[in-house]
Amino acid sequence: MKFNFDGTGSIVAMSGDFTFTDHVAFLEIMNRLFETRAEPIVIDLSQLEFIDSAGLGMLLIARDEVGKSSRKLTLRAPKGQVKRMFSVTRFETLFAIET
Amino acid sequence: MQQRVIETLAAEIMRTSDFVETEADSLSERFQRLAVNAQQQTARVDSLTGLAMGIDVEGEIIRIDQVARLFETTLGEVVSKILLLSKDSMAMVYALDTLDASVQNVGKCNAGIDGINGTLNMLALNARIEGERAGKAGAAFRVVANEVYELSKSTQGLAATMKSELKAMTDGILTSYDKLKRVATVDLSDNILAKERLEIVLRALVQRNNGLETVVAEAVRESEAISSDVEGMITGIQFQDRTKQRLEHVVDTLQVICKALEETRSSTATQVPELATASAPDTEWVKHLLSRYTMSDMRERFVAQILDGQPVDWGEETTAKGAPSSSGSMELF
Repeated sequence: MKFNFDGTGSIVAMSGDFTFTDHVAFLEIMNRLFETRAEPIVIDLSQLEFIDSAGLGMLLIARDEVGKSSRKLTLRAPKGQVKRMFSVTRFETLFAIET
Repeated sequence: MQQRVIETLAAEIMRTSDFVETEADSLSERFQRLAVNAQQQTARVDSLTGLAMGIDVEGEIIRIDQVARLFETTLGEVVSKILLLSKDSMAMVYALDTLDASVQNVGKCNAGIDGINGTLNMLALNARIEGERAGKAGAAFRVVANEVYELSKSTQGLAATMKSELKAMTDGILTSYDKLKRVATVDLSDNILAKERLEIVLRALVQRNNGLETVVAEAVRESEAISSDVEGMITGIQFQDRTKQRLEHVVDTLQVICKALEETRSSTATQVPELATASAPDTEWVKHLLSRYTMSDMRERFVAQILDGQPVDWGEETTAKGAPSSSGSMELF
């Protein structure tokens, strides 16, 4: 998985496959997102091709952490397998999902 | 002549009435069998309704849509648990990462203690050398040097114990991490997406079942309509009795007319004998009448009874001589 922050530091775009092996990189993403005061906090998934159950678990951890500061985590433009996984797990009830 | 025509006609009516009665009885019997079959068919189709509606689970009929909902709920719960498991596994991975970092820091502190200890050792050794060089005046200095050396040895021992404990902790963390990694890296995405496939299959199953229910319900309605029609036909056929009664009245009336004609003929013969023998029977008129008949057996009976003067056949052997009732065939001409 690769990631890229925008200028505000509150929007990060992920690409490639998001699996267990990316947990260290995702910790860095979380730390940088939590450091910023800008809103909204958005993870752009439009270039993410695959997510496994560990990836879903990490997004849920990020959601809990963002919630501690009474902010919201928005997932943007999931596609393909990622979108199907969100649909089956009813992620739309847990996250704000932008299409 | 007219008297014979009327008698022959009356006999033909009776013969036809008997024929119709026999055929009606036969038809009624067949329709009753048909009605029984139709009722059995309705019962069979009705039992299909039960099969189409649901499945028997330990004596309880559960509708297919209920089964689908149960599956959906169960699968939803399984997926929720997979998500919770994934989230907790990753949370533990992050906690172990943090713990490992802390242990690494403690290891660095231990290295620092080793450094301090080495310096203390050197300090004690130098102090002792200086104490020896000072002779008697350095006795107190030597005592302090020994104490510092002993202190350094104790610290070294503690540092070694800490190092050993830290290694055990690090090994434990690594083992736990490996085990947790095995759990966290099990990709359950296929299992999650299996829910999607199962939901599609279940939706198709419910749809097929709804279609089946509709078809079976239509079949039941049609089957009931057939049963009702057949019963109506049987009732209609049974009204043939009334037709027979009407025909008997007609025959009775014709016989009364016949008697009246006979009385007229007798009184005419008595009062005007020359008229009785004056005119021959109008056989041409009768032949013209008979030429209108297209059924040969009927024509033959009329010729025998009207022209040849044979006694009137009242049709007691109708079924034997007339059209066969069992086959229901008709004379072709």
